[in-house]
Amino acid sequence: MTDGPLIVQSDKTLLLDIDHPLSTECRRAIAPFAELERSPEHIHTYRLTNLGLWNARAAGHDAEQVIDTLIKYSRFAVPHSLLVDVAETMSRYGRLRLEADPVHGLILVTTDSSVLEEVIRAKKIAPLLGVRIDKETIAVHPSQRGQIKQSLLRLGWPAEDFAGYVDGQAHEIAMKEGDWKIRQYQEHAAEGFWHGGSGVVVLPCGAGKTIVGCAAMALAKATTLILVTNTVAARQWRDELLRRTTLNEDEIGEYSGSKKEIRPVTIATYQVMTKKKNGVYAHLDLFDTHDWGLIIYDEVHLLPAPIFRFTADIQSRRRLGLTATLVREDGMEGEVFSLIGPKRFDVPWKEIEAQGYIAPAECIEVRVNLTEAERLSYATAEPEERYRYCATTRTKRNVVEKLVELHAGEQTLVIGQYIDQLDELSETLGVPLIKGDTPQKERERLFAAFRSGEEKCLVVSKVANFSVDLPEATIAIQVSGAFGSRQEEAQRLGRILRPKSDGRGAKFYSVVSRDTIDQDFAQNRQRFLAEQGYSYRIIDADDVFQGKL
Amino acid sequence: MEIRSYADYLRTLDDGALVSMFTYRPDLVTPVPPDIASLAVRSSSAPSLARAVDALNKWQLQVLEVCAILNEPFTEKEVVALTDKSALFVMKNLIERGLIYAEKDGLRTPATLKEVLGNEIAGLGPASLAKLKLKDLDDAPAAAKKVLEAMVWGPPRGTVSDIKKPSSGVAWLLEHGFLVPFNQQTVVLPREVAIYLRGNKVHKELEPTPPKIIGDKPKDVQQAAIANIATFLRWTEDVLNYWAQEPATALRSGGLGIRELKELALHLGVEESCAAFIAEICYVSGLLTIEADDQILPTHQFDIWLTQNASYRWQYLASAWLISSRLSGLAGKDAGKNIAPLGPELDRSNAATIRALTLELLQQNDGIAPNFESFAAAARWQLPSKRSGGLQQDYLFWTLRECEWLGITGQGVLSQYGADFLAGGDCAIIDRDLPKPVDHILIQSDNTAIAPGPLEHEVAQELSLIADVESRGSATVFRFSESSIRRGLDHGRTGDEITKYLSKTSKTPMPQPLEYLIADVAKKHGKLRVGNTAAFIRCEDPALIAQIIGDKRLEVLRLRRIAPEVLVSHFDAAETMHVLRSFGYLPAGEDSEGLLLSGPRVQRAQGKARPPRIIGEYEKPDENLIQLAVRALRTGEKSSRQQSTMRNIATEALGSLPRTTANETLEMISDFLQHQPNKSLSIGYADNNGLVSHRIIDPLKLSAGSLIARDHATGEVQTFRIARITGVATL
Repeated sequence: MTDGPLIVQSDKTLLLDIDHPLSTECRRAIAPFAELERSPEHIHTYRLTNLGLWNARAAGHDAEQVIDTLIKYSRFAVPHSLLVDVAETMSRYGRLRLEADPVHGLILVTTDSSVLEEVIRAKKIAPLLGVRIDKETIAVHPSQRGQIKQSLLRLGWPAEDFAGYVDGQAHEIAMKEGDWKIRQYQEHAAEGFWHGGSGVVVLPCGAGKTIVGCAAMALAKATTLILVTNTVAARQWRDELLRRTTLNEDEIGEYSGSKKEIRPVTIATYQVMTKKKNGVYAHLDLFDTHDWGLIIYDEVHLLPAPIFRFTADIQSRRRLGLTATLVREDGMEGEVFSLIGPKRFDVPWKEIEAQGYIAPAECIEVRVNLTEAERLSYATAEPEERYRYCATTRTKRNVVEKLVELHAGEQTLVIGQYIDQLDELSETLGVPLIKGDTPQKERERLFAAFRSGEEKCLVVSKVANFSVDLPEATIAIQVSGAFGSRQEEAQRLGRILRPKSDGRGAKFYSVVSRDTIDQDFAQNRQRFLAEQGYSYRIIDADDVFQGKL
Repeated sequence: MEIRSYADYLRTLDDGALVSMFTYRPDLVTPVPPDIASLAVRSSSAPSLARAVDALNKWQLQVLEVCAILNEPFTEKEVVALTDKSALFVMKNLIERGLIYAEKDGLRTPATLKEVLGNEIAGLGPASLAKLKLKDLDDAPAAAKKVLEAMVWGPPRGTVSDIKKPSSGVAWLLEHGFLVPFNQQTVVLPREVAIYLRGNKVHKELEPTPPKIIGDKPKDVQQAAIANIATFLRWTEDVLNYWAQEPATALRSGGLGIRELKELALHLGVEESCAAFIAEICYVSGLLTIEADDQILPTHQFDIWLTQNASYRWQYLASAWLISSRLSGLAGKDAGKNIAPLGPELDRSNAATIRALTLELLQQNDGIAPNFESFAAAARWQLPSKRSGGLQQDYLFWTLRECEWLGITGQGVLSQYGADFLAGGDCAIIDRDLPKPVDHILIQSDNTAIAPGPLEHEVAQELSLIADVESRGSATVFRFSESSIRRGLDHGRTGDEITKYLSKTSKTPMPQPLEYLIADVAKKHGKLRVGNTAAFIRCEDPALIAQIIGDKRLEVLRLRRIAPEVLVSHFDAAETMHVLRSFGYLPAGEDSEGLLLSGPRVQRAQGKARPPRIIGEYEKPDENLIQLAVRALRTGEKSSRQQSTMRNIATEALGSLPRTTANETLEMISDFLQHQPNKSLSIGYADNNGLVSHRIIDPLKLSAGSLIARDHATGEVQTFRIARITGVATL
């Protein structure tokens, strides 16, 4: 028995003691096959999943390596049954292979004809198959490549895909390093993606996901379609591409509500892609109009359903998903993995923070007592109005005012969900408001003013939840949100995580009404960040008023 | 002394020989027989012989089979001729077991042995009655040879379409006596012919040595075994704690239902077969019981067991497993019918034998993780008997699987712990090798706590009260939530106590959000109170309420004041009102909506009408029915008169009933069968009601506690239970 850093649980979770001297070494060793689930301050939780083990197989790791690693670092004897299970799971991978065939196009080949017999009898698989070529080979409709891979995965017989990727139309793209250098983890992430073919890269907000995208493009050296959440993000991507790569303005097109340019590198918004005209998605053709060599999905956790479906049909193109928070309250994480590709890179937020690439942040929950009258009307409010009521109480406004005052001089964002609450706040604080109907030009002007320090404080609605790059923002005050969304909380924290020029830490305040549903939602919202090791501190509104922070 | 029978032979044995016979066949001395005659009867009875045969290995059985097909008396030489020289050693052993014995003219087998071995021993037919010229077989025509080829290795019976019009080959064989007609469609190959054709041997292959067990030699056996032991102990505790909180209910037919087994398996995160095994072990070791109301609950023994050290706990479970006759592997096996774990259908008489054999083979093959095929072959050699379908491969498979679950083996190889256990050691090495229990946890800011090793019992109990277990294994991950904290409060902890306990137990500082969570829940907990009551009294005037509560005459109502204006009573509303009225108060009734009930209503029953049953004369049956009844009566009468007449005739003819003891009876009958077949006997035979009647019978055969004989009264062949024969006399 060793005294290793890892505890292997019988339910296939791995607990990594990060205070152990071998923890870094062990983390690197298990990263290829175990998925990081939580990384709070002392013990990180990884999980062995079928998908993770198969991805490890795909990346060239065999069962023996996995088992050896587990035994090597384990603190206690590892249950034998678990090891057997790992070996068995991994041996399922690759019994079926998808290959390109000069005659039949795409074929499904097996080394074990009984497996093929099993899968062709499955109801979900049968319609995707073509003619039986021999005992061990069957043709597959090329358009069903994504579908069949997904279905086989669900059946527990993942196919190894040898059919390859279309290279797409070549286009020279290179990184342009000068006054900046690509960071090591960004390089690892881009390489991890490239070797895997397709997949998702998970990096904390502010850790430079765009640069990973640029690096991936430089590896692909092909025409690229970039899908982003909104126009602001599209412009930011363009600026980044111009700064980080050899691309020039003429090579980059914007495909949005206002412009419809298709160029070697095209940046499109999810919004325009999912816009319906006479009941059909008029712009989904964009995927087909050009021989794209790479498709990048920015903020992949927001991927809308029509694009999901369409993505299943373009499995022969390389796909890269970028996100900070792959948690969806709708539980669609699995779909993202199977359609875009498995997680190729993930790293605990706190580790990036320790390397100094994101600002250290302090999370503070400010609990506000409702007044007696407010309590009463909260208690009698209709259930569907309750959250809105307690999230927008007057008492909160006072606290926000005081907080802004205490942080006067620092770049502050006040973020909320309800427009009338934000209108009021903007009025009371005397600062500009950016919301959904703020014109694009005005938005850009205000963001620019904020970046330059001309505006010290902004009130923003959920339009600024993601993809808005505000490097100098140090203080964020959240007054209300989309109920218990963990992902929104993390994204909002992400707004202030860009490292500050003077190395200052950021502060994230979440103002919550005590003893209401607001508090329950807050608890759920904080879960993702707590699991990333951000420890919330709870203070009372009275402390704020007394200036004790 | 002249040896005339098996009993006589036994009388010649010295003490040493008897001791070794009893050692091989313990059933002969349980209970101790009163005399040698009884011993002879018991040891030559079919059940005892069957047991003795079951205990033989393949080689011993082969030699015994050869002995059984030889004409008695036979010699050692004859046996060796049909087998191998080494058979001599085996024969000595068979004599020690009392399966062969020597008379002055040669060797014999106990009379019932052939029957125990089966009709066609080694696929051989009966001996030929005629003298055969076996040499002629070599020149048999091709058609005949083909027939012989098909029959030589058994079964010795062949079917022909019509014995009167046989095919040419069969005709030739019948003519020469190499085939014997059995009935219209069947012919039999005589024993001598088969042995000659088999090349003067009985068995195709002699198997004097057991097949070798092959397998891998895995490393890390000890590690795997200790992990299994740790896991198994944890599973056991988990199962019992799980059912202590939410007791499962046993099926009406006994045992655990499919759904509850599934739930258990899910809870433990194991396969259902494994869950069934764990539950069974808890059951056979007495840690778990099924209560009279069908609840499945842990026993007090579990509490005692928990306080012991790990080696003892493990040994306790493993010992119970070793001797149990229950096979958990059978659970749920049948597709059509569900066999429930903890149910009545899991007992198999050979379960413990198979376990002992499995462990013995593992011990003999130390360091090898046996390949199952070779292991099964070796086991079959050790226990070749075909009785009860032979050695079931499944049983072996399950036993090996169970060894692994228990940690007797690690990666399929007998571990030191298993070896120590089988050698009767104290297994103290388990305590040495198991990870040391920890007494602390690490609380993290995501409201989880991790115990980085097996937790001390008390700490684990306390934590499972205030946190939910999220992941189990060598370590435990707990999660705190509103509902888990509430559970702790429900069990009488206060918020402060929980906070203090956690900060004392945690090595890491207590995160502030958790402190707030506990405080928040504690603050809210118990603000609302709920209780049972039968009636309430309310009054807008607190003074009147005070007066009522102070009124001594109303003490009978046992009123309690739960608010300044509300009293509750243990009696129902009608009674409470009655009492209040009788002491001069003027209460009015309220219905469930709070409306005032007015005036006394005319009362009506709440239930449905259920008029009493009508009792009167029986209906007159129709003509047909009466006719049938009479006819049935007459028929019964006739047959019983006939029987009693027969009985009277027999009684008169024979005088009084003979009386002998059961052993005498057996000895007489077997002697009679051997020396004076085809003669009639007079016996007393008790019927189901204990009435003894006289029968005259022609005995045919003794078998397994019964006598098969033709009854003169009915002329039919009938089975008589030996125990019911009150006496035998010759006619």
